[in-house]
Amino acid sequence: MSANLFPVHYSEDAQKVEGGTGCVAQGGGIDSLEIDDSLRIPVLALFGNAVHWLIVAALISMVLSLKLVIPDFLGGIGFLNYGRLAPVARDLFLYGWASQLALATGLWLASRLSGRPIGGVIHSTLLICAIVLWNLAVLLGSLAILAGYSTGVEWLEYPNWASGALFVAFLLIALRSLLLFDCRINDRAEVAQWYLVAGFCSFPWVYGTANLLLTWKPVQASAQGPIHAWFSGSFLALWLLPIALAALYALIPRLLGEHLHRRSLAPLGFWSLLMLGGWNGISRLLGGPVPSWMGAAGVVSSVLFLIPVIIIAINIFGISPSSSDDETSIGKSIPERFLFLGAYALVTLGVLMAICGWPSIGGVLGFTGVVEARTQLWLLGAVSFPLFGVLYQAVPHLLGRECWNQAFSELHYWLSLVGFWLLIGMLLLGGLFTGLALNDPTISFLNITSYDFPFHVMEWVAQLILLAAAIMLGFNLTRALAVEQLFPKR
Amino acid sequence: MHRLPTLLCGIFLVFLTSWVGIVAYSALHLGRLAPVANADLGTTLPPVYGGEAVAGEQVYANEGCVSCHSQQVRQTSVTSSDIERGWGSRPSVARDYLRDSTAFLGFRRLGQDLSNVGIRRPDALWHYNHLYAPSSVCEGSVMPSFQHLFSVRKIQGQRSADALMLGSEFPVKPGYEVVPSADAKNLVAYLLSLRHDYPLPEAGPLKDAPATPTH
Repeated sequence: MSANLFPVHYSEDAQKVEGGTGCVAQGGGIDSLEIDDSLRIPVLALFGNAVHWLIVAALISMVLSLKLVIPDFLGGIGFLNYGRLAPVARDLFLYGWASQLALATGLWLASRLSGRPIGGVIHSTLLICAIVLWNLAVLLGSLAILAGYSTGVEWLEYPNWASGALFVAFLLIALRSLLLFDCRINDRAEVAQWYLVAGFCSFPWVYGTANLLLTWKPVQASAQGPIHAWFSGSFLALWLLPIALAALYALIPRLLGEHLHRRSLAPLGFWSLLMLGGWNGISRLLGGPVPSWMGAAGVVSSVLFLIPVIIIAINIFGISPSSSDDETSIGKSIPERFLFLGAYALVTLGVLMAICGWPSIGGVLGFTGVVEARTQLWLLGAVSFPLFGVLYQAVPHLLGRECWNQAFSELHYWLSLVGFWLLIGMLLLGGLFTGLALNDPTISFLNITSYDFPFHVMEWVAQLILLAAAIMLGFNLTRALAVEQLFPKR
Repeated sequence: MHRLPTLLCGIFLVFLTSWVGIVAYSALHLGRLAPVANADLGTTLPPVYGGEAVAGEQVYANEGCVSCHSQQVRQTSVTSSDIERGWGSRPSVARDYLRDSTAFLGFRRLGQDLSNVGIRRPDALWHYNHLYAPSSVCEGSVMPSFQHLFSVRKIQGQRSADALMLGSEFPVKPGYEVVPSADAKNLVAYLLSLRHDYPLPEAGPLKDAPATPTH
């Protein structure tokens, strides 16, 4: 744990540093203890809840994969049917895990980067109420889906009362984080801070619009396809990804003790991501029942999405660890490895999106495992891995002591790495085979299903590994929180 | 970009582009499409469907069918395989979804496309058997059984007309029969109503009706 991870006079840009002192050499942050004290309960509550939803989501995903191998597994029971479990797993992952961890990350980074505590008792109480509301909505919404009250709209399956509660809870948490930007102590905002503001602004916009027009007061179904595609693209690219990127931009230079590489490119990366993020979702409607210009816009935005991805890659991978650091410690810490893993997943995603955006390729690979691989590259890769990094970095700061069991952390990292790439590889390969076979009308659909079988088996193995990884993280976090008292005297 | 209002204004304007281009355009243009009158058929298209099918659409949503089944025949400029496979006689267009309350376009085809399942499989009994025990009519299918939409009850006098005729590999206790619940009947009514074989001005010509169904 580095005590001076958030120094007072930090600059991302090598040219801006006066006195040539480097960026992590400047003592502890302002009111560091006060900030950690104010953050401890809400952020740990968000972390804890997110991790337990991750375990439940991983368990259900594993069962779902097994159901594709053995269709009769847990068969004949309404609430355990594939069609009911699948949306529960999706939504638990999206709202229980990813969004909740993004909220925790946003809150922690907003406060630490601004150098301000989140405030007094009123703010803390409000945050705790919002966290309780959020988790109740996730729990009851998921139970409602199991009981057969799903709306049937992908990623918006929760009944209206649950999605409404999520919306309100989000506003309560996000507003606090946004206000922290305005009262920050650094005059020149960091790149990470722009991404935080963008992420926190986009959730209410994206989630509110989509729920209003698709579930609360649905528009005529002929208009729902594009609106839903816009939602699914924007939710990933404008809400979850910016928070994950904030983690990359804030933590990687600090952990490496260096400045961002070519920071002058970062604004272009930021604005191009925001611009294209809203458009790239419609690439999934390639050839679908929408005006043809929408399909074309989807193609263009999928290919252009490489621009922000390349800029982010330059900013992040261009950072060379400062020579003064101990060589052996570089690239070794768990947070750093998770953050870089996320960056690699993002680059893979950018390339895959550009390839699949191409009409002749997208037409073959549409509706296959490749589409699922793309979603998993977003959610598990580009979003979850950087957020894992934050989790590993933030908890020791919040507890004021080293708390991770190194062996469990290592195991979690390696299981996640192997499970993730195995899953992506199998989905891509399986998707490629099925896509080519679907394109040949002489091959019957049932035959194609049998082609997919070995890949489903391997996907199940990957999901099993990912479940083991999630349990390992849960165990590690529980141990970290329980081993000593929660509020150590300092 | 260092003051919150400036940053928020920039973000707002950038977000607005895709919001206006996709969301507002769709809601105002696609959302206002109306049925078209067809003089040859003496009706408006797309056809309206009955109460059972409307209730069945809700069952389709609640059971999460959209997780594995799409409902769209893609444009031939992108791929002609959807039509060649017999999933439809023309590509789907936005107006096809007018009668639905939710557009189940789908995102993954673990099962077949259902845009025209009512044409491929017009027999309600086949659907009951398929829903109760998919492998009874579709050897090797990965579809799960929807037994919870059926009830097993004692035969009172005569067998019910809608009782399932299952093979010996799906034994039912002697003196008992398997009958579909109201949800199963509504769902099947909805599936049978899924047929987009009518002409629409923007949809292009109809190809020949789908060939004999393949699994």
